[in-house]
Amino acid sequence: MSDLHNIALTPNQTILLNTVILILIATALYRAERKLDGSDPWMMLCILAIFAIAGRILLDPLPNIQPVTVVVLLAGIYYGAPRAFALAGIVALATNFLVLGHGPWTLFQVVGWGSIGVAGALLSDRLLIDGKLNLNRLAVFAAVSGFVFNWIVSLSILMKTDPSMLIPYVLSGLTFDMYHAAGNILFVAWMAEPLGEMMLRHQTSPNHKAVSEVVTN
Amino acid sequence: MSDKLKPASILILVALVLLAPSIQDALSKAAAKFVNDSESSHQGLPLEWNDNQVICVVFPSDYTHSEYNQGMTMINDDGLVISVNEDYNGTGACVGGFDGYTEGMDFMMDATRTTGGRLAVGYEVGEWGPYVHTIGGLNANLFTGEFNAAYWNLDHNGEMSMVGIGDLVMSEGDVLVWSITIY
Repeated sequence: MSDLHNIALTPNQTILLNTVILILIATALYRAERKLDGSDPWMMLCILAIFAIAGRILLDPLPNIQPVTVVVLLAGIYYGAPRAFALAGIVALATNFLVLGHGPWTLFQVVGWGSIGVAGALLSDRLLIDGKLNLNRLAVFAAVSGFVFNWIVSLSILMKTDPSMLIPYVLSGLTFDMYHAAGNILFVAWMAEPLGEMMLRHQTSPNHKAVSEVVTN
Repeated sequence: MSDKLKPASILILVALVLLAPSIQDALSKAAAKFVNDSESSHQGLPLEWNDNQVICVVFPSDYTHSEYNQGMTMINDDGLVISVNEDYNGTGACVGGFDGYTEGMDFMMDATRTTGGRLAVGYEVGEWGPYVHTIGGLNANLFTGEFNAAYWNLDHNGEMSMVGIGDLVMSEGDVLVWSITIY
């Protein structure tokens, strides 16, 4: 009997298939989150990791368009730098190891995304105001983050070539940087608000400050 | 304000998709960097090929290649065009980025194959080994007339090779250049 699963897809068909799968995963995760009791930032980080890993793998056919940057940025805003950095590391390692190829560049990707998460944490007061995201500012920041991430990852070529190649390399990759930036703006426009609402529900403390005194009767 | 962000984000992406080929073209030209050292055998070749083995085919000005006729087209070892050096002395193509070849004939055949037939090599095996008569569709006999003859000349690292391609021993970073010589 012939192999019934041996179907060759065109690149456009692959992109459409993967986008549909990603939307299904995102919808299922969104509904699953609704059923969670109470506030659990770690469960929320797991949900974000699953979505970011699936998104990066499934959207790989698109040039540099993936949701990881915006997800890590939001994690920094809502949950602080360490958790955002950890999320960046898990997503980079898992996606590279499973599908996209793991090597020394993975470290640069971890640092790149981690830095964006840290920056999101540092600027959270300007991006999240009274529990509501300033989407326009977030879009600009996400666009800039696309370029910054790619330039950090570009530094990995210095392991094999000399610094004189860096600027030509960055120049020739600028189109892909623009795709990354445009993709980030798209994800902010369509994804940041629902994601932000979910993350707000699982924030244990809005300002992350420890209680300094124990009140007794 | 954020209501406008959704349609704006789609417009930005669509505009980028439409403009990307022209942007990439302009950026590739700006990014191209070539060796500028007249004493180096890699003169005019991409900087990133500095330690790699390269083969170039230069076509005569009145018999340019059908495709590689604007400057010197630089093709990587995976067959992709990485840049065009329009200041190169001649037109044609260079295929580079290779390592580890020790035999000239093997290197030439493997390298030219990456161009998908555009630099196909025609040769005859004679008493002295393989004799190359055609590269990229140009047969040197085309220039042979009553009072002159022509052949595909091989330069090895900037100097005329003392041996044929079949006997050529290659080292890392070697550059081979084929060009038509008429005598």
